Amino acid sequence: MLEQRIRELEAAFLARISSAQSSEELEAARLAAFGRKDGAFNQISKEMPRLEPEERKRVGMLLNSAKQSLERALEARKEREAEAALEARLDGEWIDLTLPASGARRGHLHPITQIQRELEDLFVSLGFTVLDGPEVETEYHNFDALNIPPDHPARDMQDTFWLEGGNLLRTHTSPVQIRGMERLGPPLRMIAPGRAFRNEAVDASHEHTFYQLEGMMVDRDVSVAHLLYFMKTLLTAVFGREVTVRLRPGYFPFVEPGFELDIRCLICGGDGCAVCKQSGWVELLPCGLVNPNVLRMSGIDPEEWNGFAFGLGLTRLVMMRYGIDDIRWLQSGDLRFLEQF
Amino acid sequence: MKFSYNWLRELVPGADAVPTDLSRLITMRTAECEGVEAAGVLLDRACAALIQSVEPIANTHNVKAVVDAGRYGTRTVVCGAPNCRPGMVAAYVPIGSKVLYGVVSDGMLASGAELGISRDHSGILELDVQAGAPLPGCVPDSIIEIDNKSITNRPDLWGHLGMGREVAAILARKLEDPVRLDLLPQGAAAIDVRIEDTSLCPRYSALVFDGITVAPSPLWLQYRLNAIGLNSINNVVDMTNYVMSELAQPMHAFDAGLIQGDAIFVRPAHSGERFRALNGEEYTLDPSNLVIADARGPIGLAGVIGGMDTAIGSSTKRVVLESANFQASSIRKTSAAIKLRTDASMRFEKAQDPMNTVRGLARAMELLRDLSPGARVVGGVADHKNELTRPSPIELPVDWLQRKLGRAIDSGEVRDILERLEFGVSEPRRGVFLVNVPSWRATKDITLKDDLVEEVGRMVGYDSIEPQAPLVRAAVPPSNPARKFQHDARNLFVDLGFTEVYNYSFLSEDCVRAFGLDPAQHIRVINPIASDQALIRTSLVPGIWRNITENLKHRDAFRLFEVGLEIHKQSDGLPDEIPHLTAAIYDRHGNGEAGLFELKRAAECLMPDAQACPAQAASFEHPTRAAEVLWRGEKAGRLFELRPSLVEVGRAAILDLDLRAVERLAGTEKKYVPIRRFPSSAFDVSVIAGEREQAGKLQSLVASLAGSLLESIQYLRHYSGPPLAEGQKSVSFRLTAGSAERTLSSEEVGEMRARIIEGMRALGYELRV
Repeated sequence: MLEQRIRELEAAFLARISSAQSSEELEAARLAAFGRKDGAFNQISKEMPRLEPEERKRVGMLLNSAKQSLERALEARKEREAEAALEARLDGEWIDLTLPASGARRGHLHPITQIQRELEDLFVSLGFTVLDGPEVETEYHNFDALNIPPDHPARDMQDTFWLEGGNLLRTHTSPVQIRGMERLGPPLRMIAPGRAFRNEAVDASHEHTFYQLEGMMVDRDVSVAHLLYFMKTLLTAVFGREVTVRLRPGYFPFVEPGFELDIRCLICGGDGCAVCKQSGWVELLPCGLVNPNVLRMSGIDPEEWNGFAFGLGLTRLVMMRYGIDDIRWLQSGDLRFLEQF
Repeated sequence: MKFSYNWLRELVPGADAVPTDLSRLITMRTAECEGVEAAGVLLDRACAALIQSVEPIANTHNVKAVVDAGRYGTRTVVCGAPNCRPGMVAAYVPIGSKVLYGVVSDGMLASGAELGISRDHSGILELDVQAGAPLPGCVPDSIIEIDNKSITNRPDLWGHLGMGREVAAILARKLEDPVRLDLLPQGAAAIDVRIEDTSLCPRYSALVFDGITVAPSPLWLQYRLNAIGLNSINNVVDMTNYVMSELAQPMHAFDAGLIQGDAIFVRPAHSGERFRALNGEEYTLDPSNLVIADARGPIGLAGVIGGMDTAIGSSTKRVVLESANFQASSIRKTSAAIKLRTDASMRFEKAQDPMNTVRGLARAMELLRDLSPGARVVGGVADHKNELTRPSPIELPVDWLQRKLGRAIDSGEVRDILERLEFGVSEPRRGVFLVNVPSWRATKDITLKDDLVEEVGRMVGYDSIEPQAPLVRAAVPPSNPARKFQHDARNLFVDLGFTEVYNYSFLSEDCVRAFGLDPAQHIRVINPIASDQALIRTSLVPGIWRNITENLKHRDAFRLFEVGLEIHKQSDGLPDEIPHLTAAIYDRHGNGEAGLFELKRAAECLMPDAQACPAQAASFEHPTRAAEVLWRGEKAGRLFELRPSLVEVGRAAILDLDLRAVERLAGTEKKYVPIRRFPSSAFDVSVIAGEREQAGKLQSLVASLAGSLLESIQYLRHYSGPPLAEGQKSVSFRLTAGSAERTLSSEEVGEMRARIIEGMRALGYELRV
């Protein structure tokens, strides 16, 4: 009799729990079942003492199992409710991830800085040290020590900005060679990237302010073949592919023999354009074996040591690499240009 | 320097490379060729034509001319030249027919300019040859233009013979020397030459001619000179230019009848001496200028330009022909001083070969015989010179040469190359050549065995050398911490959203003043590109300001920076070059506060715990938004907003850091401090202060009162408004107290707090507790 009621109550409450529409209804069901005063199962517990011990034990077990089943059902229902409530809240938190990102965008290194760094890393990995020299130079370091004495016609090749007091704005990064030899002595492997100046009118392919990377190696037996090796390594690294180059005689008093290394114009592919002055080739790299007079003036015995030197035009290189057809952009400070790199 | 292909081929018979190929070979072996241009393209079709009749065309200044054009038959042409007249022989070119002013014009009568023979386009070219004949000595040519810079070291390449020698060596042909020294007369000279200083004038050769008839040059000569960019003047002057263009030996012809006295003096100019030059200018000279003078005064500025007073004119009969050699640097100085570069000075400043002077005279004699029939030499060659020293031969070990080139080369080939370039080669020991340098390469060009490496290398072709990695001792290269620091700073700013710009090193005086700087403290460029770029920057701020004003035309907000050198004058030696990093944040909207604090954070990223200490604003700074940036007690830079009147619209904050100082201060090593094991206690205090009191100052006051148990102090917020009085604010800080040895008791913390409150009260500050 009592067992029958327990089973009925269990079934009825399970149905009530599962059909409850709100947490209030659920609470009402819980109270109706387990309420201290009027709870249905409390009523049954009150009737328990009347039973025979045997029966009481049986009914008690049944009662416990029914209570547990209902409690589990209640618990499960509550969890579902909480989850649903959380889901509903999170659903309200929809945001549109296609909207733009916030915070400052990453800036951009100047393209010349970028290429210069790549080359610095490359040469450091080959055992070269990176040196700096002053932008305002003495006449001695810029010319005389490079085997360009006063009244040498080669001084005309480099239209010089002269400064009050007799110094000048360096016309090339080559004076850093001299400073490197003076400071470090042989053997020596160095590069010196930096700004150089020539007094010429500015147009699409000429600038009075430009960037070079000077390089020098002084050792026991340095040859043209070694120079070529470094130049080829350098250009392959810069352009990430083989470029067509040619080495031809060039005259620079600080090297002997001296060369001009040209690359096939990457802007026009060799057909001729403003950057290559319609020639299809771009002069990129004056280089050569260090003139023994230069070594001697810097206190190095040319019978014992020799070397190569090169002066890479970073400005030209950047223009070639990115297909920039007007040199003036580089110093324009125009973000529309700079943000492309 | 322009070279005529035809001329080169006359000197190198059988040189068969077409002009473009030849120019490429010259570029790869000798000197840079800048281009090849066609000259006289119409000449292969042009012929002399007799103008038979001329008939005006109504209402035009043109005429209808009927000409007998030899092999082209009788043609009718329309001609606009004022000198077109019947009976004249002119140059006819069959360029096709077209209708002009209702007349069918079949071909044209050409001017000298149209034919490429001269620059004259005032009328048609008048000829004195038979109708139907071709223009004598005038055929199409190709002009090879060589970059002057690439022959700076090659005095010999300033003439066709020198380039011809290269062409002969490249193509393995024979060079034909046009000079016949045996023509030179023997005996006493008809002119007396006196050289004051033979170091300035190592050689002066001269020859006197009489019976000269000055006349226009024949067409072939006019054409040849015109094609290489020289003006035709008359037969005598043109002859001197021809010899110069062929042999690289500048020459000058004086009208002997106008020379005062019977001697020529080569001497430094007297101070203030005046000289009227052929170009019509008058120059005032000084002793650094070498002159050619007669008894009265200068008749030539040595190696640069001749004088007007002794110029060849139509009445000249007797000529003194000068073929001299001058010291290169003296000519270069004079030419630079009077700002006059001539074809002669350009050659002399490259150090010409003194052996060449008499060769020039011999060549001139031969040419004058044809150009001025009846001219005859008077007396022998006047030839005054220094003892001409032969350069000592150079020893060239072949194995050394191979090591230099990094390529094996057969010693027979080495010898062959050098001999093709007319070096004298002997082999006193096996594998060692003794090389005699020809005089035209010996003045400056070739003195060392290294110079011979070039001769051999360029002729075998540098492209034949295989790149090869050197074998050297491995070594860690010396580091460059300053540069690394600059790179790291650049990276930081890029990561924080700044884009790197490069600005010029030049500023104008006005700009310098606008930024509160003194032009006198700037290094001045003596020869600036423009007058507004005459000062060297001592600050990067003006450049950054320009970047801001330019970019705000395209952007509402941006960040940029530059790393560059400030260059400061020093009383002696080189200037002080200080690397700076100058960064800016611009925003068209807002009140400018955000930019300043973001820059302050950027500064802190580079310099942890750097402080901004408000400072007196400069004229270009916002008067109440300027601070010194201090780090570890030293000045590291400046943080400010640009004075808004300097920016068209919006606000710009600027951070200007002395990277040298920052790098030096950053140099301290890091050391680990153990994490504290005992809990610390935190409490807040709020100081009431005047509205413009600096929170930073209040914070350090509070911190100094807190004593040794203070772990950290942190700004929380500030507040103004009720219940605070007008003009007051409350600034709150959170203090954390603790010890490495123990947990602090609440009494200890309470004492600290009380000490702060009392201390601040004593300083006149109320605290909100």
